[in-house]
Amino acid sequence: MDDGLPLLKGTLDLLILKTLSWGPMHGYAIATWLEDRSSGALGVDDSALYQALQRMEGRGWLSAEWGTTEHNRRARYYKLTAAGRRRLRDESAMWMRYTTSVTSILSLATRSA
Amino acid sequence: MRDTPAYRRLLHLRLGGARQSAAEMDLEIESHIAMRVADLVRQGMDPDAARSAALARFGDFDAARARLHAAAYRRDKALRHRDRLVDLAADFRYALRQARRTPGFVAAVVLTLALGIGANAAMFSIVDRLLFRAPPMLRHPSSTHRIYLADAYRGKTLYNEYIPYARYVDFATSTTAFSRLAQANDIEMAIGSGPDTREMQVGVVTASFFDFFDAPPVLGHYYTAAEDRPPNGTAVAVLSYGFWHTRYAGAHNVLGQAIQIGATKYTIIGVAPRGFVGLWPGSPPAAFVPLTAYGREIAAGMLGRGDRWWTTYNFTWATVIAERKPNVSVAAATADLTSAYARSYQTATATTPGMQPITVDRPRGIVASILSERGPNESSTAKVATWITGVAIVVWLIACANVANLLLARALRRRREIAVRLALGVSRARLASQLVTESVAFALGGGVMGVLIAQWGGAVLRSQFLSGSAQPAVATDARTVLYAGAAALLAGLLAGLAPIFQTRGVDLADHLKAGVREGTYQRSRLRIALLVFQGTLSVVLLVGAGLFVRSLRQVNQVPLGYDPSHVLEVELAMRGAALDSARNVALRERLLDEAASMPDVASASRQLAVPFAMHWAMRLYVTGIDSVARLGQFEMNAVSPAYFRTMGTRILAGRGISDADRDGATRAMVVSQSMAKTLWPGRDPIGECVKIQADTVPCTYVVGVAEDIKARELDNDPGLYYYLSAAQFHPDDGGLFVRTRGPATDAQEAVRRQLQRLMPGASYVVLEPLSDLLGEETRSWRLGATMFVVFGSLALVLAAIGLYGVVTYNVAQRTHELGVRAALGARMSDLARLVVREGLQLTVFGVAIGSGIALVVAPWVAPLLFRESPRDPWVFGLVAAVLLVVAALASFVPAHRAARADPMQALRSD
Repeated sequence: MDDGLPLLKGTLDLLILKTLSWGPMHGYAIATWLEDRSSGALGVDDSALYQALQRMEGRGWLSAEWGTTEHNRRARYYKLTAAGRRRLRDESAMWMRYTTSVTSILSLATRSA
Repeated sequence: MRDTPAYRRLLHLRLGGARQSAAEMDLEIESHIAMRVADLVRQGMDPDAARSAALARFGDFDAARARLHAAAYRRDKALRHRDRLVDLAADFRYALRQARRTPGFVAAVVLTLALGIGANAAMFSIVDRLLFRAPPMLRHPSSTHRIYLADAYRGKTLYNEYIPYARYVDFATSTTAFSRLAQANDIEMAIGSGPDTREMQVGVVTASFFDFFDAPPVLGHYYTAAEDRPPNGTAVAVLSYGFWHTRYAGAHNVLGQAIQIGATKYTIIGVAPRGFVGLWPGSPPAAFVPLTAYGREIAAGMLGRGDRWWTTYNFTWATVIAERKPNVSVAAATADLTSAYARSYQTATATTPGMQPITVDRPRGIVASILSERGPNESSTAKVATWITGVAIVVWLIACANVANLLLARALRRRREIAVRLALGVSRARLASQLVTESVAFALGGGVMGVLIAQWGGAVLRSQFLSGSAQPAVATDARTVLYAGAAALLAGLLAGLAPIFQTRGVDLADHLKAGVREGTYQRSRLRIALLVFQGTLSVVLLVGAGLFVRSLRQVNQVPLGYDPSHVLEVELAMRGAALDSARNVALRERLLDEAASMPDVASASRQLAVPFAMHWAMRLYVTGIDSVARLGQFEMNAVSPAYFRTMGTRILAGRGISDADRDGATRAMVVSQSMAKTLWPGRDPIGECVKIQADTVPCTYVVGVAEDIKARELDNDPGLYYYLSAAQFHPDDGGLFVRTRGPATDAQEAVRRQLQRLMPGASYVVLEPLSDLLGEETRSWRLGATMFVVFGSLALVLAAIGLYGVVTYNVAQRTHELGVRAALGARMSDLARLVVREGLQLTVFGVAIGSGIALVVAPWVAPLLFRESPRDPWVFGLVAAVLLVVAALASFVPAHRAARADPMQALRSD
């Protein structure tokens, strides 16, 4: 993952929220899910991931509970709360607007160059 | 996958702390690494290499782990906090749900608390202003002081707040403990000219006064020390914000305009900011003028004694305030002031004849609170207010006890529900917090209502205690609302504790069994104690009420020797209109004729002295008596013929003053009965000769004897009083008494207008009902009586409701038992007696303890009473009787209901 794309500030939270919108997952599952979906392009440091999880749980966007994996291993499962779902909706809408505007400006610049 | 707070608390938060969070984080990291290693091995990696790779994904593993421990700890702290809020919200919703189910109960609780809290908020708003709240905008309220001078005089210590200007200057130059000093007084003066002239408060203050405040002027500037130099300063004035708005509509061109204040025309140089009232929040000044600019009028007030007002130590007239330097203690400042006073006293003895030697006077300086009611010369109003606050707190205690009792009764009713919840594993702490949240919610409701009650009822109280026009609201005053909130919160906690106390002993099995609660009747000791406590406090308050009411009755029954109702006092303020003696006489004659000719006026007379307000005394010489002065203080009034009719003072022998006693005729005097007895015991005083001021002057002959009047004190007034003819003595001085046909206040304005037309130049008349002057004398008793009666009745009503509630509840609990008794042949009256007896027993306890407390406390109120023993058996007896009757009624109603119940139904219901 050393050669993965560095994450823009704030995007990790959004990605975690999006990931968990598929259902409760433990930390390792979130990490692999993100790697798989981005075909390994997004570099998520495990330490950063867990820090983000604790922070988001503290803010009440996620809740967590110990459970058992399919391989009968104990793992801490995270799940979106109602506040988390609201957050995901707002953040992704803003992200979309943001990237659309940035992209349109960048494409303009290319044409005039 | 539920995220219940209870789960989290049970599983891992109960241990709490950083260690717990870290341990859990380690578990999670370990689980993560294990899964990654398993995946990597599955992909064909060697297990050791896989583990290294997994750890590497954390970067610097040890640092990452430490960071994650910290993150987990922060998370848990945040979650705990959130849980508490969630619990509280749930408890609150639960309380509201319960409240909706029992609206009558909630109304009783909230209303009881509202009355208790309202009484307190109202009293607090008064006492706070009298005793605690420093004047607004003061820069350093805690180190700003009012200065008093203590002198020993004839074995007593006199505390003087009014200090000569010269002494203020001595202090300002020779003390080192203070960073600044100022001298100030608020004086009622006529502002404006012509028909707009109104008497208003004016702050007469040194230039340094404004430095004590953080109150930059909104317009112009304050005057400087250069404009405030004796003897006459500069005639400049700073308007208050309020006056600027009412009189000048806030116009900016006021600066430079002239304004007549008192005898002087001032130039307006500034406007103080909104809310600046100097030291006088109760009577905010309309304007501020330099102390020295007022000097001319001070000199006039000194009646031409010839001294220079700014150097004499003889004329005391204004307060000194001082700000302590930051590192100087009050004790050090006091010592500094005392030595400055001693030096100043020595200076004064050198120039002023007749002063006591310093060894006798023992001058001391006192650095007191800026609030005069906390200084050595506090008024009796402040004392009474403090007492009434104690009373209000007692009412609050009764309200708390009542609510505790109501909550207890309900807790007992809900025993089974509580037992069920305990059995289901709800922790006692959780249950307790729920009960307290509930009672606090009620209490806050009560607090809101209480503030509204205080707002409404408090206006009446404030007009009794606080003089002046500024009477700020309760509900918009942060301090009062805060106090009410604290009182409510504390009430909620106290009352909420009672049922918790009860749940401690809850035996799960017992209460889960149906039928138990209806079967047995248990007296709750706590409830009985609360009832007795309420009864006790009510007795104490009602005894206080009785003592004050009897005092007030005594006060009102004191024969004054005149009838103050329907009498207006007319005072003449000449304000620089310098008339010669003849024109002064003529003006007064014209005013008297004018007043007497008005249809609203029954009669009018001239006067020099006013009872309880203005006193005249002169040296008297009587043949055969060495020193008349040794026999007592003889007071004098100079009056016209209609005086005795106007005042309603009876002539007992001889005649009153008549038209014959005019200027140039033989001087006549009417003496009071006591004066006649003192000077000529056993003889007819008519025709006796008295020489006034010197024993070389011609005789003044006694022509009549009038009944004694009270002029100085309601109690023990010596009654040594005599009357001269206004035509013969100081005919160019004094004012009028006017007896009106209807109520004095109705005619006041018409009379004022009529008389004002005759006043020359800027001079004017001031009218005041005589009963108002006397009202000041009797105020503390009126206040005490009113307040004790109001709060005492409130306490009685609350206690009665409490008793009624408890007896009703007990009867409901005993339905079964009473039914059995009835079935076994008990008569209705037997059953009723059974129930009433219990209520009365409790009350007798309360009366006994309460009377005991009242007897012990009594000596402290004695100085506030009037010709009334604080242990008056009548009062104690009456209070006991009232309490027993009320208790009997409160328990009879439910007893009667119980007795009429059908025994069969009671027996079957189980």
